[in-house]
Amino acid sequence: MTLQPTVRCVEFVADVTNWMEGALDADQRSLIEEHLSICPDCVRYLDQLRAALAVMRAAPDPAPGPLREALLAALRDSHR
Amino acid sequence: MVNEGEPRPEGIDEDASLVRALRSGDEAAFATLIDRYSATMLRVARGYVATHEAAEDVVQETWLGVLRGLETFEERSTLKTWLFRILVNRARTRGERESRTRPFSALSGADAEPVVDPDRFEATGRWAGFWSTPPPSNSIPEQRVLALEAGMLLIAAIEQLPPNQQIVISLRDVQGLDSTEVCDMLEISEGNQRVLLHRARGKVRAAFERYIDARDLS
Repeated sequence: MTLQPTVRCVEFVADVTNWMEGALDADQRSLIEEHLSICPDCVRYLDQLRAALAVMRAAPDPAPGPLREALLAALRDSHR
Repeated sequence: MVNEGEPRPEGIDEDASLVRALRSGDEAAFATLIDRYSATMLRVARGYVATHEAAEDVVQETWLGVLRGLETFEERSTLKTWLFRILVNRARTRGERESRTRPFSALSGADAEPVVDPDRFEATGRWAGFWSTPPPSNSIPEQRVLALEAGMLLIAAIEQLPPNQQIVISLRDVQGLDSTEVCDMLEISEGNQRVLLHRARGKVRAAFERYIDARDLS
């Protein structure tokens, strides 16, 4: 009996970044995508990951007050 | 599917209008740029140097360098890429002067741990390797208030990461720099970057899941 290559949830989670970065070959990609087509739990995992990425990208992350003031003062000085 | 994330047309600098304004000394433009980048700049610098004060120095020197260099900035790269290249170079130089170990000198063995607790998968039986405790089926926070709160929480989670993971996820996922740019400025391979990004994203996703659970957004 030949063992069919397969991707289970534990492998999907381990390989998800490689997949998203385009680092998998065509066969590996196809196994990942096949798993996603039958596994709603991993689809949820991926959705959560994508949502976290969107939140990180949009998160306001202002400069600390004193640093901000020092930098603005430096700008004024440079234009004097 | 390659390079998920915000699609950005090649060569378009989202900061182009701010650069123009900044050249004429527009303080509001500079304040916008400071707020857009300085917190990340601090985190990245802090990975290379010994103290928070040293990291602040590096950030200030970088901005001063940018202001002085604006006249000759040829816009072959985006402002963001240029800025972070200068920052990483200055931080690395300062770290070397302080005889600090570089954040990317080695991938530690601790990085071999899985990003999701193995207890969450079936150990035995025909469903071995499949989820036993899958991610909860709930919606992602849509409301603005919750999204802001989630943002602060994920930034806090990033600050708990080891320096090398913190630097990679900040540049890639908070700032949206692409893989090639980041590998180039950090002087690491694509493979190394992917491992660090994978570890970092795993922890941030876990923090996000805890937040959704705690907020009972189901």
